[in-house]
Amino acid sequence: MSEEVIKLPEEKIRYRDLIINGIVAENTIFKLAISLCPAIAVTNSLRNGFLMGIAVLFVQTMVNITVAAFRRFIHPRIRLPIFMLIISGWVSVTDMTMAAFARDAYKQMGLYIQLIVAFASILARAEMFASKNRIAPSMFDGIGMGLGFLFALVVISFFRELLGRGSLWDLQIVPTKPLLIMILPAGGFLAVGILMAFFNWIDARYLKKTKSHH
Amino acid sequence: MTPKEIIKIAINLVVIYIIGGLILAGVYAKTSPVIYQKNEQEKQEALKKMAPEAEAIDKLGDWFPHEKQAEYYVVKKGGDTTGYIIQTFGKGYSSYINILVATDKDLKIEKIEILSHAETPGLGDEIERPEFKDQFKGKDLEHVRLVKTETTEYIQAITGVTISSRAVTEDGVRRALEFLKGKLQGNNASHEGGSHE
Repeated sequence: MSEEVIKLPEEKIRYRDLIINGIVAENTIFKLAISLCPAIAVTNSLRNGFLMGIAVLFVQTMVNITVAAFRRFIHPRIRLPIFMLIISGWVSVTDMTMAAFARDAYKQMGLYIQLIVAFASILARAEMFASKNRIAPSMFDGIGMGLGFLFALVVISFFRELLGRGSLWDLQIVPTKPLLIMILPAGGFLAVGILMAFFNWIDARYLKKTKSHH
Repeated sequence: MTPKEIIKIAINLVVIYIIGGLILAGVYAKTSPVIYQKNEQEKQEALKKMAPEAEAIDKLGDWFPHEKQAEYYVVKKGGDTTGYIIQTFGKGYSSYINILVATDKDLKIEKIEILSHAETPGLGDEIERPEFKDQFKGKDLEHVRLVKTETTEYIQAITGVTISSRAVTEDGVRRALEFLKGKLQGNNASHEGGSHE
């Protein structure tokens, strides 16, 4: 679909806004509060959070591009099963390709890639944005949402690993486990809740004027 | 909805799913031989690592923990049996944990290795840590038992990871040792009857 190339400078600004929108105003975890399940399940170490974020960033972008590219061939009444096909297709293709040709990376990330099939955030973006927009904006929306998710997971897992295990990226910083509960599921709820409150407080206090309507 | 519309939608869905299925089949056909070959290669390397001194590692047969196919081997050096390697599966929290156990010829454990699993990232995957795996060295069947308190005699569970620890220790390694013991005794009684599978 090469006819849809970006040329106008004012549109470039829009694309940058799309990315910022995904990270701040419509952050998947802290603002939209969807896909909280993975946000709790895999954020008990910084490495896990980061790798999951990268995997989601990739799949989200590819799914958004695919949905936008084929949106005219998808009958609105059956869009959801088709979005699911596109998502699971990308997940399977990524999974198999990495298993065959990127063994080392696969050993680290294989676990996370298969989980992505069930992420609400990916389906939500396909439905809310990519099915109504052209390829380029959909791609930037995917990148923005993916980066926002990555950011949220990194922040959550940073605190959980540091408090729960006393380490960062498997590197022991303090010799004890200060608050073991933080790497258990209950700690995930606590971390997500507290950080969500914190970011909303910042938002309410300092960013009120720049907040976009959605 | 008119019948015409329904047919249109059905065709739309079927066509797109067929295209999706074909793409997946194509990728699978291209990648699966490579994946199989690399898995085999990694298995051989893993076996080598389990018994670095070995001159030959010969397959004795298959067994089926949790209805999964697993293999066991005899380790030889200079024509003598120096030990055994057995693959086993332990039912963990969210997956079957695939384990390799190397023993000496008296079935005392030399080392264990976790080949693959899908336990909770960041929690269940602590079974891969050397602090946990190294506990198995020198243990025999009687001492492969999981306890939650500090111990050097038995296997100490990882804090907060009891289910995965138990899966490795009791469901995986201990059952493998029991199987191997039974098999070897049976073989001795019938004088080298072994390796029929």
